[in-house]
Formats: sequence, structure tokens, C-alpha cells
Amino acid sequence: MLTKLTGGIVFDPANKVNGKKKDIYIQDGRIVSKPRNAEPDKEYNISGKVVMAGAIDLHTHIGGGKGNIARMLMPENHRMDPVAHTEIKRAGTGHAMPSTFTTGYRYAEMGYTAAFEPAVLPVNARQAHMEMGDVPMLDKGGYVLMGSDDYFLRMMAANKDQQAINDYVAWTIRSAQGVGIKVVNPGGISAFKFNQRQLDLDENNKHYNVTPREILKSLATAIKELGIKHPLHVHGSNLGVPGNFQTSLDSMAGVEGLPMHLTHIQFHSYGTEGDFNFSSGAAQIAEAINKNKNISVDVGQIMFGQTVTASGDNQRQFANHGFASPNKWVCMDIECDAGCGLVPFKYRDQNFVNALQWTIGLEIFLLVKDPWRIFLTTDHPNGAPFSSYPHLIRLLMDKSFRNDMLATIHPEAQKMTTLGSIDREYTMQEIATLTRAGAARITGLVGRGALGKGDWADITVYSENENREKMFEKPDYVFKDGELVVKDGEVVKVVWGTTHVVRPEYDKSVEKDLKKYFDKYMTMKLGNFSISDDEITEDGRGSLTVHPTVGEKV
Amino acid sequence: MSALTFTMKHRFDQRVDMSPLVCNKLEGLTPVEIAAIELQNGKRKIRVDELFRIKGSDIQNIVIEGSFSKLDFIGKQLDGGSITIHGDVGAYLGQEMKTGTIKVDGNAGIYAACEMKNGYLEIKGNAGDFLAAALPGNKQGMKGGTVLVKGDVGERAGDHMRRGTLLIEGNAGDYCGSRMVAGTIAVMGQTGRYLGYAMRRGTLLLWNQPQLSATFNDCGSHTLAFLPILFASFMKLNSKFSNRSVAFNRVQRYAGDMSELGRGEVLVKI
Repeated sequence: MLTKLTGGIVFDPANKVNGKKKDIYIQDGRIVSKPRNAEPDKEYNISGKVVMAGAIDLHTHIGGGKGNIARMLMPENHRMDPVAHTEIKRAGTGHAMPSTFTTGYRYAEMGYTAAFEPAVLPVNARQAHMEMGDVPMLDKGGYVLMGSDDYFLRMMAANKDQQAINDYVAWTIRSAQGVGIKVVNPGGISAFKFNQRQLDLDENNKHYNVTPREILKSLATAIKELGIKHPLHVHGSNLGVPGNFQTSLDSMAGVEGLPMHLTHIQFHSYGTEGDFNFSSGAAQIAEAINKNKNISVDVGQIMFGQTVTASGDNQRQFANHGFASPNKWVCMDIECDAGCGLVPFKYRDQNFVNALQWTIGLEIFLLVKDPWRIFLTTDHPNGAPFSSYPHLIRLLMDKSFRNDMLATIHPEAQKMTTLGSIDREYTMQEIATLTRAGAARITGLVGRGALGKGDWADITVYSENENREKMFEKPDYVFKDGELVVKDGEVVKVVWGTTHVVRPEYDKSVEKDLKKYFDKYMTMKLGNFSISDDEITEDGRGSLTVHPTVGEKV
Repeated sequence: MSALTFTMKHRFDQRVDMSPLVCNKLEGLTPVEIAAIELQNGKRKIRVDELFRIKGSDIQNIVIEGSFSKLDFIGKQLDGGSITIHGDVGAYLGQEMKTGTIKVDGNAGIYAACEMKNGYLEIKGNAGDFLAAALPGNKQGMKGGTVLVKGDVGERAGDHMRRGTLLIEGNAGDYCGSRMVAGTIAVMGQTGRYLGYAMRRGTLLLWNQPQLSATFNDCGSHTLAFLPILFASFMKLNSKFSNRSVAFNRVQRYAGDMSELGRGEVLVKI
């Protein structure tokens, strides 16, 4: 079937198309060039409407055990937000951490067609994929969490050579069906288990005598040598600690030019100035990002309101449990792999720290010059639920709206921020880069986030509206793999996306030692640990898309 | 003016959410408007007059005739007035009620008096689990008022209870007074296992020796001057609790739960 989208204004940064009126043809799920003779079977007149690729969220917690713990921890958050079923949609609940089906529908109804779970614990990867397997409408993928796992730290402590590390990383990412590698508070989750309540970049994990800096370097090297496209996805040390912008700068320097993605950088950009010993480090962080082309970031913007923070970083979550609102929280150990912490948060605009966090995130957005290396996230649900993205886009695109909002927050925070003096407004093309083209490129997706010939037809069509929040919260049309799935902001067809993975090569002999290790220490046998393709595809909904890896010696 | 009376026409298969039919929400409505109110019935909505025959007009005085165990949320957020129910009721009877009176002459389901704030709730029959408890995930259960149950109650009575008085003439199930923050629970009959499990503060007043966990400490026997005052406050109730012969002031006192704050007490008649 040939579908034609007629007369749209196309924003496609991947192909350097910036607001050009252009027809788009779709056949067999992909975008094709204008056919010579064939008449379209279906034509959509979208004259004057804004056309972008489907949006991609490269850091959103939509799968893995922590989601279910958050749901169990906050039933009141679900009681308050029931969603009735419709003819085609299933019922659901939840504001901060919605149920899986509702997550998929809500994303699609904002024009998103892919989302990546950034903390897939290898030992829990099966559950994470099952949960993402229940998220409709979206392509999915997971970053496999490493760096605080006992096996890896033992290798580091024993000074194993880089090749051995590479083999273990490749084996893990394949076993867990991941598309990237994430490290959370490098070595710190493990250090927490040995009663270290903080761990600086150059501080030894007492048990293994390994520093976070060494872990970052080793994993970033492995990723480069294995040819995994997505850079090491780093949730840095000292999250939320005033003065941690210095840690972030040191971490950037620590990888010595290797590609690295610093996630929810907002939480890692705090200074210690001012009467409250809490200030913005956004300027220094943005300057370093602008200078170091190997670094990319997503912001992890906070928004005011109720949410829940869900993180593998049990060390920092434990430190912040006193702020839990409502007052209940969970911290747990996940056998040899890592840990997990959940602390409900209510960000308040009249709270100095929260208000300043809000400005810091926006400052970073506006001070980082290259939209290809910064991405729009709230670290759902940690900064805010993903449903707040349209509001965030308006803050970025509309200076007077931003300043109006700024005028309502805690007065001391207003005094401490340079936000009011920043004139930059994001353009449509920059938003398309942040949320589409750039996100696809940094996650190594082939044929996504772009509207060129041969690309998958994940397309979002918006009606131009001065109020960008209104514009981006309700697309006129969303196409997923060429099919119309959302019309006027409502799901009209439920579809199932693919799971993106990478399959770097490795030396099979690593399994010999791993088998011994599993038999001795893990609750699971090695043979059950690896997730087979069938487990993702056999329900008839899921599928796998393998992206190429090309290794390069460092 | 005669009481506004809802008489059940026939028993539905699906449960009914009765929360719109409380005195404070019916204020100013004519009988015709009340008849047109829609109630959630399973997955569909039905009009009040499909379910009930309606008589009388005094909305401060509601009577439900022929009630049975599928009528949920009766008296939810009741704020003044009285509701009298002939028959059994379903779950969440008097949830978050603020003031007023609810009387049931049959049995109540789970979560009766859940997060009740004030007022008086009386159940002639038995009550289910989680009497006067908090909703799952919430931190505080009943916060005030008086609940009287003449029959037995299920498990977890007074779970997370914060304030108020829970009077049980019959027996209580396991975990009575679990996670209690404060308040008073009096049980004339037997109590089950794990009495006062993880209670922080509050008083459990018992006529019979309970099975206590190892995390409760025996603090010896006492004569407590406040008990006669407490019993005197029950005098106005139509209950065994108002009978002088059941009162006592001599108790064995146990403190716990020591695995929590440990400032709760179990007082047992001797």
C-alpha cells in the first residue's frame, strides 16, 4: 500500500531538511521516493502542518523491577489517576509510574515512537524485557547496567586485561539483549554494601580497591573497542550532592576523549555558593560539554509536582530518603549485580532547592550549543513523569512563558539563576534534533529518527500552534512503521514496536569461568541467565532489530 | 418529614458504588433529581431508581432497606446526618466519614470505617478485615470518632489506626491493632495471633489473655485510675460496653511492639 502525506512542513535534521514543504510517500512501512506511475492508495492532506520523525526518548524508566516496586509503593498515585479502557485500549492507572499499556499509549499520543530503558540489570533483564514487551506502540531497548557487579569488580581488582573486560561486557550485553551499557554511580552501589555511604571519583571502593574513574575508563574503552554505537551511559558519582559539578567535570576528563553520555546531568551540576550553600554549576558544565565533542548529555529536567525517584543508585537514594514525600521509601540489594532505591518526591516551586534544580536544568538546555549532543528527558519518573514533555518543550521554545514561570518560583532561587538573562529560544529544527535525529544517532539506531528515503516511517504530524505545549501534547497524526496509529491525539490502532539490540563479538571461552562463578554465587544458573530471542518474540508481538557494531582499538 | 428511604428492588449480580448517596451530597436535590443520579454498577452505570424504590424526603436521615453485601462505599465522606442500613453492607462502609452517624443492623464487608475522621459508626453484625484501617499504601487509618461492632471482626482491625475508639464486643482476628500509630481498641472476646504487630503507640484493652509476641514486654499489674473514666465515656452507648459490670480498673500491662517504637500498650483485665 502506498500512502502519501501531502503538503507538510518537514523538519528532518538528519537529512538537513529545515522546515521545507515536502510530500512524503510511505510503502511497506518505509519512506520511499516519489513513485513514477503509482497513485497513492491513501492520501493525507497535511498542508501547512509540521512533520517530524517519531520522537525518541533515550532515557526513561519503563521496564525493570523498580517500576513495579514504585507502583506497589505508591498505590495512592494510581487510585488518583485511573484510565478507563476503550474499544481498542486497555485500562490502566498511574501518574508518576503508569501501568505498562498506559505508558505506551501516552507516549504515542504525544508523538513518541521509541523509548529506551536505561537501567536493565542483567539478572533482572528478563523481567525488564517482559515488562517492555507489555508496552505497546513503542520501539524499545535497554542499556545494561554494569560497573557495580561483583564479577566485573573482581576482574578490575585482579587487573584483568582490557580484552577480557571487553569479552565480559559483550557477553553481558548479548545475554541481557541490550543496546548499550549503563553505569550507575560507578562502583558506588557496590561500595554501599560495604558500608561506604559516599564514593568520590578517585576514592577506592574499600572491598575491591577500585575507583569510579578506573571503572568509567575501562567500560568506555570496552564500548569503543566492541563498536557499540551508544557511548557509555553514565549516571555519575555524587548525584544530588552540592558541589558535584566538579565531579562531573572530572568524570568528563577521566574518560580521556572516549565517547561518554552523561545522563540526567541536571542532578550532577550543583555548586556550593550562596547563603544556602547550593548553587548552579550549569555554566561550567555547559562550557565543558561545548568544548568536549566526545560528551553527550540528557538533562533530566525536574518539573514541579508529585513523582517518584527510581534508581539503581542505592547509595544516593539512601542518603535522600529523608526527603521522601509521602514518607515511605525502599532501598534494596540485588544480589551480585547492583541495588535499587525508590524515594517518592514532591518537587515544590516554593522550595529553594527544587526551584533552583528547575532553573539548573533549563540553564543547561539553553547553554549547550550543539543540539546533537543534548537530549530532552526528565529522567522519567525521577525529575517528572514523561507526560510533562510538552510543557518542557514550551519552556525551551518560548522565552516569555519561561520568564513568566520563573517569576513564580522561590524568590531566592530567582536571584541565584541566570535563566532570566538567557534569550535563546529553541527552534523547531532544534527540537526535532533533540528529540528525534540526535537521539536516534546517539543510540545507534539505523533508519529511525529521520525522514529520508529508506528510513522507517515513524512520523509525527502536528498542527502549528503558538502555544508549543498545546502543539506537542496532541499530534494530528502519528505513523508507526507506516501505519496510522494516533489521530487527533488518540490511539486509533494498537501496534507493537521492535526491541533494538546490539550483538558485539566476543570470545566464547569467557563462559567457562562465568559458569563456575554462577554456580558458586548467583541464584540463577548460567544457562538460564541469557535471554533467548524466542523469549522476546514468541508472543507474536515482539521482534528484535540488531544494529551493527564496528569495533575500533583504542 | 419522613426519612429518605431507598428500598432495594432486586439484587444485582455486580457491585454498586453507593458513594453519591450521602446526606451532604444530596442537599438541595429534589426526589426526581435523586432518582436520576447514576451509580457505578460493575462496568456500567445505572440510575438510582433502577435499583431502589425511593420514599420520603428528609435527606439528613437516610434509610437503606433490603441492603446486601454488594453495596460498597455506603456513607463515603459523610459530613453530618445519619444513614441507617437494614441488611448487610459491602466494602468501605463509612470511608473517610467526617461527622454523622451510620448504623448497620447486618454485617459489614472489608475496610469498614476506613480512614474515618470522626462521627459514630455502629455495626450490629460482624465486620470484615481491615476495619478502621488505612487504604493500601496510605500511612494513616482511622483518625477519629467511635466505631462499635457487636459481632466479630476480621483480621487487621485498626491497621495503621491514628486516633479514635474501636469497640468490639465479639472476637478479633489476627493482627488486631497492627501498625497502630495511636488510638484505642477494646476487644471483649478473644484476639488472634500477632496482636499489635508493629504497633507504635496506642492502647489495646482486652478482657481475655491474648497470645503475645516476644516483642511485647510484661510491665506488671496496675490499677489505672483512667479506666473508670474511659468506661464512663461508653455509658451513652447502646452496648455491652455501657454495662457497669464489665468495667474494671485492674490490669496486666504489656508494652510493645519493641521491634517498632514500643510505646504501645496492651492492657489485659485481671
